[in-house]
Amino acid sequence: MAKTGMTKTMNQYFDDLRGTRVWRSIFRSGTGSSTLKRALAIQQNVFLHLFSTKVRTRMLSLSATWYLGTLTLGTFLILIATGIPLMFYYHPSAPQAYADTKDLQFVVSSGLFLRNLHRWSAHAMVFLVFAHMFKVFYRGAYRTPREFNWVIGVILLLMTLLLSYTGYLLPWDQLAYWAITVGSNIASAVPVVGEKIHFLLLGGNAVNANALLRFYVLHCMILPLTAMFFVAIHFWRIRKDGGLYSHASEPATQRANANPGVVANAKEAQ
Amino acid sequence: MNDKLTSLWQRLFGDSVRAFGVVSLIFLASLAIAPAKNFFSEWRHYQHGYLKMVRNRSDANTLQRHFQGGIQQVWLPELGVVDRCTSCHVGLKEASLTDVPTQPFRTHPAIPHKIEQFGCTVCHRGQGAATTLTEAHNSTLAWEQPILPAKYIESACGQCHRGSLPGTPQLNQGRNLLSRDGCVHCHTVKLPDGTIMKATDDPPSLSHIADKTSREWVYAWLKDPQAYASTSTMPNFKLSDDDARDMSAFLIANSTPLAGDTATLTAKASSDPAAGASLYGESFCASCHAVQNAAGNMVGGDVGPELTRVGSKVKPEWLQAWLRNPRTYDPGTAMPHYRLNDGQVATLSGFLLAKADSDLLANVHLEAATPEQITHGKRLVSDYGCASCHEIAGIKKPENFAPELSRIGSKPVTQLVFLPGMQHTLPDYIATKIKQPRSFGQGLKMPQYTFTPAQIDSLTTALLALNDRSNTLPASLAVGATPESDYQPAGKAGKLMTDLACFSCHRINGHGGDMAPDLTWEGSSVQREWLVQFFKNPGTLRPSLIRRMPRFNLTDGEVNELTDYIMTVYQNPVIDRESMPLSGYSQGQVELGKQLFYGKYSCQGCHIVDTKTDKGYIGPTLTHVGSRLSGAWVYQWMKNPQALRPGTAEPNRAMSDEDARALTAFLISQKGAAAKEVAKK
Repeated sequence: MAKTGMTKTMNQYFDDLRGTRVWRSIFRSGTGSSTLKRALAIQQNVFLHLFSTKVRTRMLSLSATWYLGTLTLGTFLILIATGIPLMFYYHPSAPQAYADTKDLQFVVSSGLFLRNLHRWSAHAMVFLVFAHMFKVFYRGAYRTPREFNWVIGVILLLMTLLLSYTGYLLPWDQLAYWAITVGSNIASAVPVVGEKIHFLLLGGNAVNANALLRFYVLHCMILPLTAMFFVAIHFWRIRKDGGLYSHASEPATQRANANPGVVANAKEAQ
Repeated sequence: MNDKLTSLWQRLFGDSVRAFGVVSLIFLASLAIAPAKNFFSEWRHYQHGYLKMVRNRSDANTLQRHFQGGIQQVWLPELGVVDRCTSCHVGLKEASLTDVPTQPFRTHPAIPHKIEQFGCTVCHRGQGAATTLTEAHNSTLAWEQPILPAKYIESACGQCHRGSLPGTPQLNQGRNLLSRDGCVHCHTVKLPDGTIMKATDDPPSLSHIADKTSREWVYAWLKDPQAYASTSTMPNFKLSDDDARDMSAFLIANSTPLAGDTATLTAKASSDPAAGASLYGESFCASCHAVQNAAGNMVGGDVGPELTRVGSKVKPEWLQAWLRNPRTYDPGTAMPHYRLNDGQVATLSGFLLAKADSDLLANVHLEAATPEQITHGKRLVSDYGCASCHEIAGIKKPENFAPELSRIGSKPVTQLVFLPGMQHTLPDYIATKIKQPRSFGQGLKMPQYTFTPAQIDSLTTALLALNDRSNTLPASLAVGATPESDYQPAGKAGKLMTDLACFSCHRINGHGGDMAPDLTWEGSSVQREWLVQFFKNPGTLRPSLIRRMPRFNLTDGEVNELTDYIMTVYQNPVIDRESMPLSGYSQGQVELGKQLFYGKYSCQGCHIVDTKTDKGYIGPTLTHVGSRLSGAWVYQWMKNPQALRPGTAEPNRAMSDEDARALTAFLISQKGAAAKEVAKK
């Protein structure tokens, strides 16, 4: 009984909060739990309107998605949260970059924790993106009407890999230097324009201070913003494409459930 | 069991609020690890330990006042130094902490530099930025250079100090060995000042070797140079019997006779050992040449080759020609041209030829060489780079025969090949490579040297000083070496001085050896009459020295030529002979000088004026100084001896003009009367 009492108290507390003037001026919606009120609350909020107004409870269980997309978003948020304080201590200049990495390791309070968290989250994100894509692929969730969101997903995979690659140079140690040397040489294997791409990527013919600066700007500005832009589209499209994919709720399945014979005939006709 | 787990799960995650709370707590606890790790860091642990140790000391107050908590660092941007070593090594600057047995809390030994000036890693290596022991001291994946073992620490001095320092005997010895034992014949060493390190040894030319010795001796020598002379600097190439046979065949066949060298014996070698030994002694051969005595000890200097078994090596006619005038066979030799007469040549050659070892060549039996053997020998001689050291007719001195060593002290460990069981560090690699060069792989050419462990450490020290830092040092920090000048005296006297090899022992204007006094200002220093007498019969000036100036049997003309040149050319502009005459001092001044000599300055500690009472034998005997030195020289010498002869042992006593004048008067009055009295007795 105490449990329900507490929950009620919490709900009342939230209702009170939603009723305040400050809340209403910021979120443009007040209390009330009718479908209209809820839909408005979602729709009028720039962040929340990326998401569906309604989600099936079943889709929130682990078995539906394994939370792979959400976990990917989680690592991305960790990367932003740890990346910004890391930027406070880092100069993208040779050879200061390496000294800054050493300082993060040895003298900055919790610097090693920040750096390791950033690094492990980056590894986890690459893994999770792949896992997410495999899941989507083998579930067949890329099919109409979600094919465009699959394309966005592929772009996001590319963004993730580029973020990972550009971040690899920033410690400015031997590992970084040679990894980027090898990586950029792969780019120069492209026919005709390979050398140009190589030059454009590094800002020169070898990995040097210019390359470091370029990779820094890409890693901290251009790629994260681009990724955020596509993440927003990705989420918005989930809503527009009919919510999370669930085999049972697909129109074709429903039609088949309603008229088993029709589908069976159609299959035979094929 | 299963029930228990279920109920635990229920209790923790039973409803969403609980689950949220539990997960939040776990998350907070894991977040707390980061600040906790910060708080329990190693350097904080050491600082606590230091404060605990200091608390019980009598000087606790002073030490606690000096103590600064938190991470400490020495930051020197122009040297690329960020050294946080002092975060744990807290007591480095506390002079009173010498009684602490070990680091990290012991005080730093006294050095001429401040820690704030150079930091720690410039000398000790290691990772200065690190604040944990393993990262700072050891080599890790992210840092190759571990702490330099203390026995090589002098290499750090050599990064800035390019010349020799009184405080770094090991470094000085190592640098000497590099140039003296022939390392730089094969290995190029470009010094940080841009010059190439020059070899100071003088390996003999082999173009006329058949004049000098037999093929059997060459064979035995190639097989094991130290069997002939244990002090030989020629390394052992570990040649097979066939290779040594072919190389000796080529060297003998390649040799051309030299006019005047194979002259028939003009005098029969005398076999009077007593006369020979006394001539060997009188000529001070032992100043440069060593002979192993019966007890196995080396007696003599190391300028020339060891003569223990010379009779088994040289041909008698060559030896006589050499003793008559060594410059015929080797124009650049360090050996002086003694003006020996035929009788002396015969006596000395007989004495030397008797120094033979019948065992040396007993087992060497060589057939006449075939043309194939000679061709093969020639190939071997060029393969082993013999011409890097020796002049050999028909074979060019190879360029860059061995790897350059100009930056060996910074060679990355990843580029080295280590032997099993070896420590994977650069100093260990260098030391082992010098000790057993051939063990690092098949087909390596570097020969086996016979360095002592101390010499290997010295060489390693000198090589470690040749590194990236020494080459990229800010110019303001480099302390240059005084380069050897190529001074050559001019004219007839100059020729005579070359002939007598004065520069093998004496130094003039920055050129020459260090066995005998620097003669740059000799003309200002001595009196002409004394110099003439000295050339005719060199006496002893320093009782403590065994090595002395030999008598060269010069003619009067030669003596005059040399004396005139020295008295005219080797003049110091500061010294004016007229200012301090050789006579005319008042008795009072001489008396005052005497009092100063025995009283205030206690000169008798090192010098002898009165042979009956004085015991000093470190400096020159001064009984005759009034007839040897000029007054002006003595006066200036009293004022500042180092200005006249840098590095002299004579202390600078900062004398007043009056004291110096009185002492000069006293010394100039010492014209040898006392010695004459002794002689009369």
